[in-house]
Amino acid sequence: MNKRRPNPKQVPDPNEPLWRSTLRVAMPLNLSYIPIGLACGILLHAAGFNTLLTGLVSLLIFSGGAQFLIATMLTINSPLLSIVLMLFFLELRYALLSSSLSPYLKGQSNRFLFIFAVSLNDENYAINYLKFATDKKWTGKEALMVEHYSLLFWAVSNVIGSLIGSALKIDLGIVNFALTALFIYMIVMQIKNRLTIVICLISGVLAALCMMLTKSTLGLVISTLIASLIGFLLESTLRKRLPDSHWLWRLHSPGSKKSAVENTDN
Amino acid sequence: MSTVNTWTSTQHFWLIILGFFVAFVPRFLPLMLFTKRAIPEWFNEWMKYVPVSLFTALVVKDIFINSESYQFMFTKFSEMLAAIIVVFIAYRTRSMALSVVVGLIAVFLLSMVIA
Repeated sequence: MNKRRPNPKQVPDPNEPLWRSTLRVAMPLNLSYIPIGLACGILLHAAGFNTLLTGLVSLLIFSGGAQFLIATMLTINSPLLSIVLMLFFLELRYALLSSSLSPYLKGQSNRFLFIFAVSLNDENYAINYLKFATDKKWTGKEALMVEHYSLLFWAVSNVIGSLIGSALKIDLGIVNFALTALFIYMIVMQIKNRLTIVICLISGVLAALCMMLTKSTLGLVISTLIASLIGFLLESTLRKRLPDSHWLWRLHSPGSKKSAVENTDN
Repeated sequence: MSTVNTWTSTQHFWLIILGFFVAFVPRFLPLMLFTKRAIPEWFNEWMKYVPVSLFTALVVKDIFINSESYQFMFTKFSEMLAAIIVVFIAYRTRSMALSVVVGLIAVFLLSMVIA
């Protein structure tokens, strides 16, 4: 977005119907969902999901990370309890997202909050958070429309991916790297200071140790709990004892024009 | 990925239903509570480190842990190199789609050269 000149997209056209103005806001996200949704559909098909269930999981869970996780854990034959526990820990982060959106949704009915929560996810959160923070006219209604557009694109891409997966024979080892790349992307997006990098290293070593000891993916749950707790304790001690510590300095990425959206903690 | 999953569609269905609940509750409860009252600070601070710890653990699992024996392995060189490329792309572009696509192309090309 160009900050100097007024962006023509920001100028509201009073005659434009709401479905089109919200669609325009949602479109960049919708388009980037297509390749990821296709990859996710192919992976879920490879993990044994049929097309109908792939559509259902995209509608009900609607989370790239969670669906990729289901696909990997099924291909390594994890037990049901282990998968649900991992999903629970993965989805716990949504508590943070919906907490930070709550000031903008005060006074909405419980029914609205229910529908809004069902189709909330990381990416449409990022868009809506930015719009709520910068656009006074952005209300829950528009935010919900953005959520539904992204949900539609996500579910359709997944179903098409599932159909492609059943028509083609694809090297699963390579397609599986889509999920590794997605997780790496998410890590990079989460890194805000040097301390986060230390936590990553701790978490990585702990994860390897815990998985070797437990001989199951339950090790992931244990290491995630320990590592995030260490991060929380380290940060609060540092902030108390050494508030100017260079470990807490913010890191700026060259392409960080979007970072205003992701830095939700300030 | 040599093992093929043996679950039935009914089991998949129950997984989706349980998954829906664990995905829905963390999205809904804070909205319910905090549109009415304030957020506890310690919870925010702790939650902040959950995603990064979890994603790192998952990447370590994908690259360094054998999916059948759960032993440490240092053999997936094409994945390791591709992972470094993805870090660079994600850092420079901040684009999810680009990171995933470049990562897939990199691992595909590297696996032809290396392994």
